[in-house]
Amino acid sequence: MSELTLDTVLDGIAAVFLVVGGLMSLAAGLGLVRFPDLHSRMHAATKPQVLGLLMLVLAASIMWRSWAWVAIALLAWGLMILTAPVSAHVVGRAGYRTKHMRTDLLTHDELASTVDRLSRQRGVRREVTDD
Amino acid sequence: MMLDYAYWITQVLLALGALGAVYRVYKGPSVLDRVISVDVILIIVGSIMLADMAYGRHQDYILFVVVTAVIGFLGAVAIARYVAVRTPDSEDTVRQAEAQARAITGESAPEEPEAPTATSSPGAADESTSWFAALARSGFVPKRNKDDDENPTGEDNPAPGTSSNPGGGEQK
Repeated sequence: MSELTLDTVLDGIAAVFLVVGGLMSLAAGLGLVRFPDLHSRMHAATKPQVLGLLMLVLAASIMWRSWAWVAIALLAWGLMILTAPVSAHVVGRAGYRTKHMRTDLLTHDELASTVDRLSRQRGVRREVTDD
Repeated sequence: MMLDYAYWITQVLLALGALGAVYRVYKGPSVLDRVISVDVILIIVGSIMLADMAYGRHQDYILFVVVTAVIGFLGAVAIARYVAVRTPDSEDTVRQAEAQARAITGESAPEEPEAPTATSSPGAADESTSWFAALARSGFVPKRNKDDDENPTGEDNPAPGTSSNPGGGEQK
């Protein structure tokens, strides 16, 4: 450890990436335990999907020291980036429509005002009443 | 070595995150909370495999990570679609569907759907609402506006509607 070779530098960077990825997972766990409603828990739950997985993929790529496996690891992360918004969108939409949210914690509900404006024009159902 | 410490610290942090997600699966008030927590558990398992691959310099589990990234969202999408059907006013939609089914088959409605509309209109002989009472007695089941489900003042709407509708119709 006395001399600073390239291997030790790369191992140190990989170690930092590993710990940061673990911290993202810990943040997701704490957010899932402590946050009050569904949409804020969804906000916490996307941390290890995007940032934590990126950190761990970069750590693994650095440790492998192979450009081919870097491509495959970044392919896995890119596919996760592509598919994570789909489930987040559908779950958030279902949670909004079935009122799994605490409207008293919101400062401004732009979707409710939009749905309200559309319901005055046509027959769109107002989904959340904030009275 | 520094990498050993980083590896074990990472595994402990991932395990704590998985414990938080498991707590939310156990405690979660709705099925959507459980769905996103199960997704987080899946991602954390992939992260544990990635950390082990980075520490051991092998690529044994990379296929699991790739396949998880591709099809991991399907379970959440499927369950969320089923949750979206089960709205709190599902009894209203069931009653509406039964009324439509009776209207199609020509069967007379047993007791419930006509009685409130016929009796709850106080001024049945009134000129402005008599058309509504006649419509209610005729057994015609219209397509309900979706606004009527949650609008408590739905009974007030026909009265101003009659003042403007027979005269000029729509103003457009």
